[in-house]
Amino acid sequence: MLKMANSFPEEVLEHVFSFIQSDKDRNSISMVCKSWYEIERWCRRRIFVGNCYAVSPRMVIRRFPEVRSIELKGKPHFADFKLVPEGWGGYVYPWIVAMAVAYPWLEEIRLKRMVVTDESLELIAKSFKNFKVLVLSSCEGFSTDGLAAIAANCRNLRELDLWESEVDDLSGHWLSHFPDTYTSLVSLNISCLGSEVSFSALERLVGRCPNLRSLRLNPAVPLERLANLLRQAPQLVELGTGTCLAELKPDVFSNLAGAFSGCKELKSLSGFWEVVPAYLPAVYSICPGLTSLNLSYASIQSPDLIKLVSQCQNLQRLWVLDYIEDVGLDALAASCKDLRELRVFPSDPFGLEPNVALTEQGLVSVSEGCPKLHSVLYFCRQMSNAALLTIARNQPNFTCFRLCIIEPRTPDYLTLQPLDVGFGAIVEHCKDLQRLSVSGLLTDRVFEYIGTYGKKLEMLSLAFAGDGDLGLHHVLSGCENLRKLEIRDCPFGDKALLDNAAKLETMRSLWMSSCSVSYGACKLLGQKMPRLNVEVIDERGPPDSRPESCPVEKLYIYRSIAGPRIDMPGFVWMMDEDSALRLS
Amino acid sequence: MELELGLALPIHNPIKGFEIDDYLNKCHKVGLMPAMSGGGGCNLESSTRSRSSSSSSNVKNKRSFDEAFGEMEEASTHTLPLLLWNGQPNEEDDRKGHKPYSQPTNKNYNEDRDLIVGWPPIKSSRKKMLHGGEQVEINDEANYNNNYRVKNNNNKIGGSKSMYVKVKMEGVGIVRKIDMKLYHSYHALKSTLITMFSKYQRCNQNGASNYTLTYQDKEGDWLLATDVPWQTFIESVQRLKIRRSWEDWFKK
Repeated sequence: MLKMANSFPEEVLEHVFSFIQSDKDRNSISMVCKSWYEIERWCRRRIFVGNCYAVSPRMVIRRFPEVRSIELKGKPHFADFKLVPEGWGGYVYPWIVAMAVAYPWLEEIRLKRMVVTDESLELIAKSFKNFKVLVLSSCEGFSTDGLAAIAANCRNLRELDLWESEVDDLSGHWLSHFPDTYTSLVSLNISCLGSEVSFSALERLVGRCPNLRSLRLNPAVPLERLANLLRQAPQLVELGTGTCLAELKPDVFSNLAGAFSGCKELKSLSGFWEVVPAYLPAVYSICPGLTSLNLSYASIQSPDLIKLVSQCQNLQRLWVLDYIEDVGLDALAASCKDLRELRVFPSDPFGLEPNVALTEQGLVSVSEGCPKLHSVLYFCRQMSNAALLTIARNQPNFTCFRLCIIEPRTPDYLTLQPLDVGFGAIVEHCKDLQRLSVSGLLTDRVFEYIGTYGKKLEMLSLAFAGDGDLGLHHVLSGCENLRKLEIRDCPFGDKALLDNAAKLETMRSLWMSSCSVSYGACKLLGQKMPRLNVEVIDERGPPDSRPESCPVEKLYIYRSIAGPRIDMPGFVWMMDEDSALRLS
Repeated sequence: MELELGLALPIHNPIKGFEIDDYLNKCHKVGLMPAMSGGGGCNLESSTRSRSSSSSSNVKNKRSFDEAFGEMEEASTHTLPLLLWNGQPNEEDDRKGHKPYSQPTNKNYNEDRDLIVGWPPIKSSRKKMLHGGEQVEINDEANYNNNYRVKNNNNKIGGSKSMYVKVKMEGVGIVRKIDMKLYHSYHALKSTLITMFSKYQRCNQNGASNYTLTYQDKEGDWLLATDVPWQTFIESVQRLKIRRSWEDWFKK
């Protein structure tokens, strides 16, 4: 068999490999033998780098000379919640500079949580002749000037997605930089832009791109403009509306309802900023076809949500504010049997008293009524072990379970006990759980459950939980497949971390903030584990100005084959071998 | 998987200016040794004790500290072995059941609730959308004070696209928040509110006249909503309260 494989011409193997899409499988192929490694690296077209500091652009380019599509991730996930200080890093520019030379035929760049300057965008626009896809998720650092450069130069651009990025809105005219001859747009997401875009440029663009399937507008696009856009693009599959704030006028309503009913292909709806409930019936006609509905920016109250959701019987994904309340989730459970993903966000996260009647009961109902549900993000104010147990039994298919009880360290509201048993039931019953966030009052016991049962867990978020090192030890020693662990405000210290130092090399990253890890332990770890980058983030000043036993503010540890990064700001200290020797 | 670094760490002292000798003396006097504390444990002495007892009795599966790190303890009283805790993972087998639940030692959350950055975990883009772009920058702790919530709820009028105020109905436990910008008349507002609250309380949806809409203005005074023109009302309303009837209102 081996002999036969060896006798295949390279071209044949290359062709066979081209059918293998998954990164994991490609990695396995490259480890079979030297010749497979060689063949595979020359025909790898897509690469994914989960941490831009884990490898250098030079190393990637040297190994994979023919890449067409790259996905890069930058800052730690907790940057979403402002836990990573501004200026930490995650700059894409060095990557673009290197790729501009090495990959002139690069077609796709997908970035998440990276700092993207206008200079980077301009370099992309002029370097890659056949550039097609630019996705900037939760990125920052660029302005509409950079977007104008992309629009003006990338003639084959199919997708421009600015999902939740922070864009400096200098001018709404960047859209008019798409040339009149440009017609290849398939997907445009500008929902994060704050200021107005040029409506006439937008309308012309939508009108001349026959393949446009996804259009997500920003709040500045008023309701009156929407009907016109829809009539120009009845082929849309995905739509994010602008603001729907307007006095109800029968002619505007019927115009809009007519435009929606013409969009037979629509499967996904989002937007609805400031929606006036009376306008919602305008979308009823397309509801049966919808599989995805994102109303998480729409302050629609429960009665109107119930009417809407009840029409969407094929819904697979729903994002919504907690205005839906328990009654609304009951209705959802009754009518949407195909639901796979549910996210319920808080409408008043900082209020002291509940502003809506949303409890654990809503989630219990959905877990009962929706047999395909496998992913949940749920913000609420009360929870019980009994409810979690019921949810776990109802729904052993969960792959993602993220529960945020808004007040930290909230116990089971019925028994006043910690929620250990409840979350324990989730990890025990849901054998395929990959992502878990826990909250509420939790002791080390919950981590024993997680370590024992969470064998497929890949990402775990912890906050305000545990009693001491034992908790972290259970997680690090038990969760075999853990890749990302993020922890804040837990009393985990040196011992658990140092004991499991080897485990860290198998993971992508570990974030710990406001925990009990000492500066001395960080130094030791950096010194002993040369393949780990141990970053101490402390805005109070140099950590060696305090006793070594003093806990560090924030700690970010990740494996890297590129060595220490060189773009650290003043508040980040890398605990590498040199610094450890120097400081000790 | 376990990594043996075989190096000593300095004593972990979580409290500034806390003298280890004083601490140990106190422990001697009280005759009480702390278990693993949240701070990471500076219970040097307790380890010696637990060691002497554990080596004789309950450590079966794990090497004792003596075997692993015995020599280091003698090296210096100012360093602490890496492996030092009472709750060894395998100890669970020996202890019958779990230790009783105790309140976490961390500072009381409620006292400084307002100071928790990044909690609840909501993306800043989402926060901006929820509050019409007037989110106070809570990242900046220096400028941050207890007025935060007040600022946040006293929504601006005019420029902002939405304007949320809290609404309470007498006798109903739940406070709602509504966007005043969605309403253009007293009639629409009042009927929406009564519908909204009617599910919590048996109230006659048609009998709007049984309910009185009052509001708190910027000076903090409670006033009758219908006494002023809609525009004046919308410019000064801070909170809403629905009272059951005229009579009740005047009795108070």
